[in-house]
Amino acid sequence: MLELALFYLAAGISLVSTILAVTRVNATHALIYLIISLLASAIIFYLVGAPFAAVLEVVIYAGAIMVLFVFVIMMLNLSPAGEAIEHRWLQPRMWIIPALFCTLLLAEITYMLSRGDNLLMGHMVGPKAVGLELFGPYVLAVEIASMLLLAGLVGAFHLGRRYLTELREETS
Amino acid sequence: MSNDAIFALLPLITLSTVILALMLLIAFRRNLALTCGAAVSGCILTLCSIFLVNNTGVPQQVTPLLVVDGYALIFSAMIVMVTGFICVLAYEYYKCRGEQQDEFYLLLLLSCLGGMTLAHSTHFASLILGLELLGVALYGLIAFPSRGRLSLEAGLKYLILSGVSSAFILFGVALLYASFGSLSFSALSAAASAGTNPLFVLVGTGLIFAGVSFKLSLVPFHMWTPDVYQGAPAPTTAFLTTASKGSIFAVILRFFISLDGYQYTTILEGLFWIALASILFGNLLALMQTNLKRLLANSSIAHLGYLLVAFLAASYVGGKALAVEAVIFFLLAYFLTSLGVFGVITLMSTDPDSPDNDELPQYQGLFWRRPIMAMFFSAMLLSLAGIPLTAGFVGKFYILTAAVQAELWVLLGAVVIGSGIGLFYYLRIIFVMTEQPSANDEITMPVVGGWAMATLTLIMLTLGIYPSPIINWVSEIARLMT
Repeated sequence: MLELALFYLAAGISLVSTILAVTRVNATHALIYLIISLLASAIIFYLVGAPFAAVLEVVIYAGAIMVLFVFVIMMLNLSPAGEAIEHRWLQPRMWIIPALFCTLLLAEITYMLSRGDNLLMGHMVGPKAVGLELFGPYVLAVEIASMLLLAGLVGAFHLGRRYLTELREETS
Repeated sequence: MSNDAIFALLPLITLSTVILALMLLIAFRRNLALTCGAAVSGCILTLCSIFLVNNTGVPQQVTPLLVVDGYALIFSAMIVMVTGFICVLAYEYYKCRGEQQDEFYLLLLLSCLGGMTLAHSTHFASLILGLELLGVALYGLIAFPSRGRLSLEAGLKYLILSGVSSAFILFGVALLYASFGSLSFSALSAAASAGTNPLFVLVGTGLIFAGVSFKLSLVPFHMWTPDVYQGAPAPTTAFLTTASKGSIFAVILRFFISLDGYQYTTILEGLFWIALASILFGNLLALMQTNLKRLLANSSIAHLGYLLVAFLAASYVGGKALAVEAVIFFLLAYFLTSLGVFGVITLMSTDPDSPDNDELPQYQGLFWRRPIMAMFFSAMLLSLAGIPLTAGFVGKFYILTAAVQAELWVLLGAVVIGSGIGLFYYLRIIFVMTEQPSANDEITMPVVGGWAMATLTLIMLTLGIYPSPIINWVSEIARLMT
């Protein structure tokens, strides 16, 4: 019963924050909700016994979006006008919902950690088991994924560079 | 992995090595002729390794993810062949479009690797990874920035719809995993008879088909097709319409046979309507198009509908072998002819400052201006229409045979009506080409590309006149597969 309540709380936060992320007009607000959505799915992963996936979710996805976030701040915050924008972002109605969601998630993870290592639902898959599977029977999946990354990298690099040079020629 | 397993993977390993070598080559020295030559020889090497493996070590299960059997190898051979031809045809196209176009070949080979992975996969993990590898490389190829905003728009459309369809497929896979407890195709068949929740299987398979229909551009998931076809550079469109769709169809057929999905009549009913709508709407939408790429996009919707008829024909008892045979042969013919048609558009579009020459009036009087090119083009169009002595005729004959055997009379009628409509718009293109040229602008025909087109036409006609060696090979594969 309790584990279901925890699951539905995290799942609800994840859904609501994803919808909010999609409907926000301002990119930074959308990114905040996206991070909360990813944190909530990390909690779900932890709840069903996949702590490794939970950590990856936080480190890779939420981490990558944080970097994106920093980029946006860097691009905007170059003038006094940028500072004014930042002040506008700090109004309570902008941060109160994300803060509430984060507090709920924090309470959830604190409760789960304080219970010790007895699992609430699903069965435990530790990092070692994941590694053994990935580099045992699923080693080809790792190889294909590496090619996938290469494709993404080459494509993004090529597209980005060409449009960048185009832009430079237009402005000069 | 054992030595046998590694040997069986030789085609995939060869292609991956070629990709890495190509990447290093581009990093050290940018020369389009050199890159193109390396890519083509890589394709030929891979093709050789496919035949080497086909003669010795098949069928073989390599890790839970991939299986190397005749079915996987013939699709790999078809995909690699298509890629090789596109490499040659695209050379002149990109040569006249300025510096730094080498990445096209890298992305094309990566996409080809994704298609081959799909043809080999017997596991949902490799299915998703192959699909994404194919797709991610295609985003770059479609939005390839030599044609300005139009291709960027096409790339964006394909990116979003492809992402959505991948989400559909993933959710379907999750539901199937929930009911079968395994991601492997072989486990589906074993557990299918045991008491699984049929609703989960139905919804899961339905979602997978919805996602796949997006990628195969079947009605009602076809909206993106004309825009993306028109916006993408012509060589990319050739790859998109042949290798990309073919490999996805190959893996979905393997999945459905493993699942023994023909016991679920609800799914078959849904597929029946999709096939009917694709054939009729595809042909009707193509009827009034004056842009060749949009016309061919709609005709490819109809062709995938024909293919789905063969897919459905496997539902009658003992019909699987014939259906698989029909699918492979039809796809082979479709690959060759679509490649030929888009090849001509590619070769016609060597003006660096304008987008592709794909408006119908630009082809007016082609028989007077470039008689050989017009001949190749007409042969390919007749094959698409399914005129005898072309590969397209044998392919369509297979579809009709399969449909008659399975007694799918409504679909059979749709195929006949669709072919009738198709004949009109294909012949209209040929008619426009025979008109007196209005403007006397000279088109230069690239030499290498011209030879590639000649080879393609020759293979296509050979397949139409004397198909029995290929038919024997394909039917053997189909018999082993089912």
